[in-house]
Amino acid sequence: MATNPMEQFKVHKIGPEIEVSGINLSFTNASLFMVISAGLILVLLLFGTRQKKLVPGKIQLISEMLYNFISKMISDTAGKKAKPFFPFIFSLFVFILFCNMVGMLPYSFTVTSHIIVTLTFALFIFVGVTILGFVMHGFKYLKIFIPSGVPIVLLPIISIIEIISYLSRPISLSVRLFANMMAGHTMLKVFGGFVISLGLIGGWLPLSFSVALTGLEILVAFLQAYVFAILTCIYLNDALNLHH
Amino acid sequence: MKKFFALLTSLLLVERNLYAAEAGMPQLDPEYWPSQVFWLIIIFLTIYILISKIFIPKIKGSIDMREDKIRKDLEEAKTFREQAELKLKEYNSLMETAKIDVKKIISKSRQKLNEDMRIKREDAQKKIDAEILNAETEIKKFKVDSFNKVNLISQDIVSNLIKDIFGEDLNKSSIEASVLQTIKEYEKGK
Repeated sequence: MATNPMEQFKVHKIGPEIEVSGINLSFTNASLFMVISAGLILVLLLFGTRQKKLVPGKIQLISEMLYNFISKMISDTAGKKAKPFFPFIFSLFVFILFCNMVGMLPYSFTVTSHIIVTLTFALFIFVGVTILGFVMHGFKYLKIFIPSGVPIVLLPIISIIEIISYLSRPISLSVRLFANMMAGHTMLKVFGGFVISLGLIGGWLPLSFSVALTGLEILVAFLQAYVFAILTCIYLNDALNLHH
Repeated sequence: MKKFFALLTSLLLVERNLYAAEAGMPQLDPEYWPSQVFWLIIIFLTIYILISKIFIPKIKGSIDMREDKIRKDLEEAKTFREQAELKLKEYNSLMETAKIDVKKIISKSRQKLNEDMRIKREDAQKKIDAEILNAETEIKKFKVDSFNKVNLISQDIVSNLIKDIFGEDLNKSSIEASVLQTIKEYEKGK
């Protein structure tokens, strides 16, 4: 292997060092690619909403399809009560999708392949959903740990399992996205390295793998964004419609 | 599965160099964690605000506009269809009455035609009858005439014959009677 496959995940600062009360907040390549993804999103939406045509153009159609897709996803999983959270889910899905997709470009940086980024999202969602649950239902929200129709003998065990599964939500949510992105990009890098090291004669096989993996990774990039968004919807549903 | 192995190898790498993250997973190096969280919050908040305040209302507006238009068009189409159905009913009833009228006219004209034909035929029949009657009377007259003529001629012949043979005139009325007698006998024998 020519280079370390993990090197692509290295964060380094761009420009001056910014330190606020001893904490390093420098602008890094990760921040740069967040800005690029956000910029692409804004460009897409800007062009998609520039003119309201009755028969939409291509970009308008894409933005409207995104809107309908996420709207349907929310109403299917969390019902009507989740309407106020539509902008958040929309932004979340689009942001993760664009970060994943931008990461598929060679020599780019995948923002979502960093556990700290996904964990920030997941913790925010976890804390937000928990607060929302308590605001909506008060202490009755604790009922979420007591599934209905369970024999009393089993209740303590089940409740403990439920509590553990509830508390592990941010971890599973963040690690799922992070691990998928990291593993995919590592694989791509490893196979890319094989292409170089095997040269002109033997390099075709890993190259074909690389091509196939790229296709797979694009699917994964979409799928993980979708899974992240839909799990957020499901957690929201638990907090909004307590039906255990 | 391959992905899983890749993850496993990378995790193994991490375990080996957990305290020297630069060599393994840069993700676990906390040096830039605050920076990443900070920039993530700023950038995500920015696009969240922009999306929720500007873009979602715009997209919703255009989708609503389209749905409105479609609904209106559908309603319009519905009213048009109702109108068309009304017109069709009108047309059908018109056609119905027209058909009845046509039937009436046809039957009337046929009656009239029949009447005319009957009258004409009767006229012709009358004429023919009259002609036949005429002809028959003529024939009868002719018959009677010819009979009388034959009678006279035979009386003449008989009286001439008698005169030639016997040299004298016989009583005219007795000749007449005997001729008539013979003719009658002849007709009877016939």
